Order: sequence, then C-alpha cells, then structure tokens
Amino acid sequence: MSYRVDFTLKHDLKKFGIHDWNECFHCGNCTAICPMTKTGSLFPRKDIRLLQMGLKDKLATNLDPWLCYYCGECTETCPRDANPGELMMSLRRYLTSVYDWTGLSKKFYTSHFWEFGFIFFFFCAVIASFLIWLPLSGNTAELINDQGGVMINNLVAGISGASFVNIIEIGDWTMAILVAGLLISNILHMFYRVVIRDKEVKVPVYAYITEFWSLIWQFMTQSKFSKCEGKTYWVGHLLLMTGYSIMFAVIVVLLPEFQIEEVRPWYNWQRLMGYYATFGILFFLVYVTISRIRKSDWKSKFSHPTDWLFIVMLGLTTITGILVHIFRIGGMVSATYYMYVIHLAVLVPMILVEVPFSKWSHLAYRPFAIYFDRLKEYSRKSQNENKLVRAA
Amino acid sequence: MEEIRIGVYVCWCGTNIAKMVDVEAVAKAMREIPGVIVAKDYKYMCSDPGQELIIQDIKEHNLNRVVVSACSPRIHELTFRKALENAGLNPYMFEMANIREHDSWVHTDRAEATQKAKALVAGAINRVRWHESLDKRSVEINPATLIIGGGIAGISAALEIADAGKQVYLVEKQSQLGGTVAKLDLLFPHLDSAQQLIQPKINRAMNHLSIQCFLNAEIREVFGYIGNFEAKVYQKDDLETEIQFGNVIVATGLKPFDPSKIDQLNYKRLPNVITSLELEEKLLSGNLVMDNGKDPKHIALIHCIGSRNKNHHEYCSRTCCNTALKYSNQIRSAFPDAAIYEIYSDIRSFGKGCEELYTHTARQDVMFLMYDQKGEVPKITEARHSEKVNMMLEFREQLSGEHVEVPADLVVLMVAMEAHENAKEIAHAVGVSMCGNSFYIEKHPKLDPVATTTGGVYVVGSCQSPKDIPDSVSQARAAAARIMADINFGSVEVEVTTAVVNEDICCGCQTCISVCPYTAIHFDAEKNVSVVNEILCKGCGTCGSACPTGAIRSRHFTDKQILSQIEGLMSMQLQH
Repeated sequence: MSYRVDFTLKHDLKKFGIHDWNECFHCGNCTAICPMTKTGSLFPRKDIRLLQMGLKDKLATNLDPWLCYYCGECTETCPRDANPGELMMSLRRYLTSVYDWTGLSKKFYTSHFWEFGFIFFFFCAVIASFLIWLPLSGNTAELINDQGGVMINNLVAGISGASFVNIIEIGDWTMAILVAGLLISNILHMFYRVVIRDKEVKVPVYAYITEFWSLIWQFMTQSKFSKCEGKTYWVGHLLLMTGYSIMFAVIVVLLPEFQIEEVRPWYNWQRLMGYYATFGILFFLVYVTISRIRKSDWKSKFSHPTDWLFIVMLGLTTITGILVHIFRIGGMVSATYYMYVIHLAVLVPMILVEVPFSKWSHLAYRPFAIYFDRLKEYSRKSQNENKLVRAA
Repeated sequence: MEEIRIGVYVCWCGTNIAKMVDVEAVAKAMREIPGVIVAKDYKYMCSDPGQELIIQDIKEHNLNRVVVSACSPRIHELTFRKALENAGLNPYMFEMANIREHDSWVHTDRAEATQKAKALVAGAINRVRWHESLDKRSVEINPATLIIGGGIAGISAALEIADAGKQVYLVEKQSQLGGTVAKLDLLFPHLDSAQQLIQPKINRAMNHLSIQCFLNAEIREVFGYIGNFEAKVYQKDDLETEIQFGNVIVATGLKPFDPSKIDQLNYKRLPNVITSLELEEKLLSGNLVMDNGKDPKHIALIHCIGSRNKNHHEYCSRTCCNTALKYSNQIRSAFPDAAIYEIYSDIRSFGKGCEELYTHTARQDVMFLMYDQKGEVPKITEARHSEKVNMMLEFREQLSGEHVEVPADLVVLMVAMEAHENAKEIAHAVGVSMCGNSFYIEKHPKLDPVATTTGGVYVVGSCQSPKDIPDSVSQARAAAARIMADINFGSVEVEVTTAVVNEDICCGCQTCISVCPYTAIHFDAEKNVSVVNEILCKGCGTCGSACPTGAIRSRHFTDKQILSQIEGLMSMQLQH
C-alpha cells in the first residue's frame, strides 16, 4: 500500500509550532538517545520523516507523539538543531486537531481570533448571566455566619440555600457531560483512525480486555513518564494531575458538600484536601512558568501561544479560587460574590477550550495512546507468531 | 665482452607489495644468481632516497645493469631510467619487474606470491643481461597543436595556446563551437548565465588569428609521434585539409544518457517526462510549461538516471546533483507556489560553493525524497482522470521505508554523462586507451592527470571522466601549459624502441608490410628490402614476429631478450 506525499502539510503545520522541519537529515541520533525508544522502532526520527513528506494518513494512524514526554534529550543531541522534541510536541497539537471531529481544535490552534473570541464570549456570558439572573443580594449585613464568614449560598438575591447550589451543580454537570461527551467521541474517532483504519494491524478481541489495565495504570501513575530524564517534572506533573482530579471531584460530584454555609475548622479533611490540590496545582504552575520564562530546559525553550494560554487560564482560575476562599473566611460579602463570578467566568471557558480541544485533552489521549499502542503491538506480535507457525 | 654487473632492487611499495611478498627473501634469492652484484629491498624505490640508493650503488659497485622489481613500468620505468642516466649509465640498461599489479595485488597466498616474485625478478635479470645501449633520439617539436572538440575545454585550451602566439587547429564535429555549455541556461552554484560565459569565448576562438576552426569536421586518423604528427581534417562536401602539428588535445566531451533504456520511466511515451538537457532548452527559451502550454504545479526531479547503477553506469556523473539543486532554485523563482520534489539517492554537492547551494536549496521549500538508485527507479505513470495532476510517481522512499506516491505535472530526469559512441574511433585515431566506461585513461590518475601514455597526446574535460566546468577548464589549461613547455623547449626525446630491418638478411617478401597496423613500412624496390619509417613505427613488434627470415628486429624487444626472460622465469619455478 502506498501513501501519497503532501507538499502542503508542512505549511499547514507551521501554526502548530513546527518551523525547522527541513533541517533533519536522519542521522538517527535522536532515536539512539531517546529513553522511550523500543527495540525496532525509529521513534522519533520516523515521525519527523513522515512530517517532512507530508504522509497525512500515516501520521494520523501514528501514536508515537503521545509516547513522548518531551525530556528534550533528542533536541540536545541533534547535530542539525532540528529540534525533534518540539517537533513531537507540535505533532501532539496537530493530532489533537486530527482527532477532534468538530474542527474547533484546529480553529483554536491556528487562529487567535477563534481561540480568544471563544474564551471572551464565555467569559462575558458567565458574567452577564450572573449580573442579569443571579445578582448580588442587597441585604449584605445578614450574610455573615456565626464564624464571621460569608454565607455563600445566600449571596444571590431571591435565591437561598440549596437552590443556589443546585443551579451551580446543574451547570457543573452540564459542562462535565458536554466535555466528557466531546472527549469520548474524539477518543472513539482516534480509535477509528489509529486502530481500525490501520490495515496492518488486527487486534484480537480479548487483547482489549487484557491490556486495559495499562490504561488505568498509566492514567494514575504516568509511570512511563518517570522513565524520562528529570524526575522533578514528573513529580510536579503528578501533583498537578492529582490536585486537579481532587478539585474536579469536589466541584462536580461533591458540590453540595463543598459549597456550604459554615466555615469548617482548618483540619477538616475536605479543607485539607482542597489545600493539597491548590498547592499541587500552584507548585507545578509556578515551576512551569519559571522554566518557560527562563527557558531553563529544552521542553521550556519553545512556547506555543496555547502553552501560555493554558498557564494563564489555570493560574487565573486558581488565584481567583484562592481569593474566593479568603474573602469568604474574612467575611467580605461583595468581594466574595464578585470574585466567585470572576472565578467561574475564567473556569468555564478554560474547561470548554482546554479539555476537549486543546492542551488539556492529553489527559485522555496519552493513556489511550499507550493502550492503543499496546493493542497494536499485541497484534503485530501475534501476526508474527502466526507467520512463524505457518512457516514452520 | 664486458663483465655483467647487475644491481637488483626490490620495492616494498609501503605495504602494497611487502604485505603479500617477502621482499627480503626475494632480494636474498637474487644474490645467488650469477652476475648479480647487489640485491636490496627498500620501502619506496621511486622516492628520492630510493633513486639515490641506485645511483650510489652504480657508482660504488660499478654496476652496468639495473633491475627494479616494483610496480608497473607504465608508472615508473621512466623514473628509474632517469636515475640510471644520472649515474652515467645508458637508460636502456634497465628492466622492471612488476610484482605489484602482477603479484601482490592479485594473490592471497604469501608463500606463493613470494615465489612468483622471485620468478618475475629472475626473468628480468636474465633479460637485462642482453640489453643493449640505445641512443636516444631528439625530435623537433612542431609548434602547432590539434585540438579535437570545441566545447568549453577545447576552447579554453585553444585560447591559452593561441594567446601565446602558437598555431591551433580546432576541430569541431557540430556546426558551432560551445559544446554542452552552449546548451545550458544558468550554471551552478551561483546561477550565473552559461551564455555570457561561453559566447565571448566562442567569438574569440572563431576570430583568433592563431586559431583555425574546422566546423562540421572530423579526424579519422593521426599519424606520427610527439612533435611530428600529421592528419587529415574531413569536412562536408568531401573537403579534406592536411595539417601538421606537434601535440594533440582530445576534448571530445560527453553525451547524455538515453533514459528510454529504462522502461518504467516512460520517457518518450509520456510527453511531460523530459531530460535535464531538455529542461535547459525550456529554461533557455524562458518557456517552462507542460506540453499543453500550462504551468506545472508539481515538478519532480529524479537524480542518478543512468548513474551509479550496474545495469547502466557504475560511476557517479558528478554534476547532476548540483544541476538538480540549481533547477529547484530556478523553478522556485519561476513558480513560487509550485511543489518541487528532489527524488535523490544521495546528495553529492561537493565543490566550491556547492554545499552552500544545497543548504540554500533545502530552505527553498523543496521536498527531498530518497530512492534506491541500485534498485528500482521511480515508476512514472499517467495519473487517473480524477486527479488534478498529470502523472504519478511510485517508489519506496528510503528514509521512511514507506511506499509513496508523488504527484507530478513535469518530471525531469537527471541523466548521466557518458562517453560518445565514437569514443573508440577517436581513441584509436590518436592512440589513447579507454577504461571500461569508454572514458579515456590518463597517464597517472593523480600525478599526471591530463597526459596519456602516448607522448604528445592529452585528454581533457568530460571525455576523460564526467566533469564540471571548473575542472574541465583547469585540465584544458594544464594540458596547454604542458604543450607550451614542450614547444618552448623546441625538441623532445623520443623512444627508440622501433623496428629495424637487417638489409643483408631481408628477402623482400613484404610480409611485414601487410601486417603493419601503422603503415610504417614501405618497400625499397631498388634494394629489394623493406624499410621502416621510424616516425610512424610504434614498436608494436608485429612485423618482427611475422618476419620469416628474422631480418626484422624490434629494438629492446629482441628474440634473445624475450627468450632469456622466459628462461629466467622458468628457472625459478623449477627450483621450487
């Protein structure tokens, strides 16, 4: 089967962050130095070649970019300054847009107008919704509880207690289901492109079950990541991931338990979990921001606009969340209300853009890529064995 | 008769000989042979200290014969004859045994190779006993020069010699001068105009008072030897001109490979598959379009067509990579949005400014795809009607390992340079040898790259091997300088190893006249004997072996010398 070369692909990919695509002359140093290279694979050299030749179909069935965690060893070793590490990063951006059937991902990656327009629209929509339908209650003096904190569920005029939590919870679930739906459909699309359309593999049904543990294990521990150089990054990333997972659980599933009127003592387990999550997210954000500004390691040297956007959005969400917490404990009624509105106005577009369409989608693509890769390897192995049996 | 005192010198040639032949054992064995006064081995006999060793021994031991066993006499016989002369001996009292090309390079058993070396050297010793002093002959140099081929090399050499005030006969097969360069548009690596380069030179050559140009002309045979050649120039309408000259420069250039020999390229069957020279025509006319007059959107350049492949030519044609890179730049400036594919097998862009051309081209948005020139060349077929392009190329891309399809509106085949079909005739006419690829062989690949084994005959430019313009011009001017040196000196010493007729024995049967390939013998009816013209005789020995009475003797190749050599060879074999 032959693949058609595509002269235009590399031009299309420039907006995803690929610039020096032609520098590579295929010496293979990157493959030799990469701690992720498996025996017989040409990772990442082969991926650069597919890109140079514009073999679109071959690239779309290719999982390699997700198996790279960007330690930067390849880029450091490259004698041509072809920057294979950043090339793999850019390929992940591209593949995100390939898996996304809605086409929005491509729009967000390649057009500032679309990306910032989308974010700005939802930012304004959240603020407007609050100001119009859920305005601050006029009766601020009655909103202080026994501990001197703000009674957050009574902030909105005319709605009290559980009703307000319900409104937010409905919003949470709607967003969660929407985002999850998009992600799952994109993963099914990825599965179709990567496994079904790849004529060279035939995966036996039981392999789907036997290999499933790798999906869970990788999602929880990112143990493959730990094989790369630089363990700080892996620890930091794990802190971020667990912190974010806790926050997600608390906000979406346990909201009625979380957003309550009384101020709990500091040693309450829910508060401690919240502090851990906040610390985890902040630690990694500060670490990443400093390395990207200083360009201190290879993976931080080249920042695509979407990398910064992600940091800024998550940073703003975290800071506004912390401020809501401080204002509430401090009994500052109006400040709590407005900060709560801003917090949601940042959080909503961040989740809507990042999780299904942009950088954050890797939370699903990476573990699934490892899972699909294991399936393909399983199929290759069993096909080889069959061949050997037939030959014998 | 004087006492025969022979010096024998066995060369190691570094490790070339010494690793396969026990040179010390050879030298030791030779000391046992009667008449051998000294026998020595040395690392490099041809080096200055090596020659000095021979000269000292001749003086010290009063030697009167010398044998050097080393490389081929074609390479160093003259070197050692010179040494003998410097020591006061007649240079013909020397014999060379080739224990490198004939022995160490071609054998794998050290003991047997050593034994063979002993036999070869013993043969040479036996032969040198019967050597006679021969007097060198000095001949006047005719200051005119014949140059065959009016391309960039021929013109450059012609102008160089003519500007020094010496007569040049410039013979060109085509109706105008300029050769391949006159068919080119721009030149790599700086993309300057070929026409601006060649046209002023053509004009100058055509109008030069010291250059006589023969167009539509050919040379069929050259008679004579260095300093005194003569030939006829044949032109249209049976026009014949006789010319005399002292030196010959062969600059017959190249011919492009015919890609219709490779079936799957579909050259000639698909109108938009063209050769590099056909692309030059389009570029020169400023009309880079497809056969339907439309601009091509996808252009593929396929390298190494006919080169570096056992089925065609094993050599690299040397200029096609740079030419293809040049095309990419030209096409890019003509069509800023076109897709350009360089389908190469290795990029060899060496030479001043050429690597820079490659680096520059790689940044011109050109897709480089690697194919295996030793295996299948890309298959070119007509694209399906639904496709937006004209043709489709299919091949295995080497760096990715994938089978790929490349769309193309125009395919340019970077065809190899090859020798002309009539290279053999010209080689025979002027007396130069050809290698397996029909390119002419130079005297020494490194140290004497423009001379040939025939004195006064030089080969320059692409008839010697594929070349770019700077190399062709350098060679042309080098040959011109060599010739000017000879002309300036006025005379040259020539070999005297010709045939001589003993008139007392000759019976006048004229057998020799019928076998001589150089028509160098005529019959003196008055004396009823054959007479050898020493100017035309090349000393091939054919007449000597055919003569029924033994009246013809080839100087330096006498029966006695040859039979003694055989005896010497056999004596060593029997001892083993």
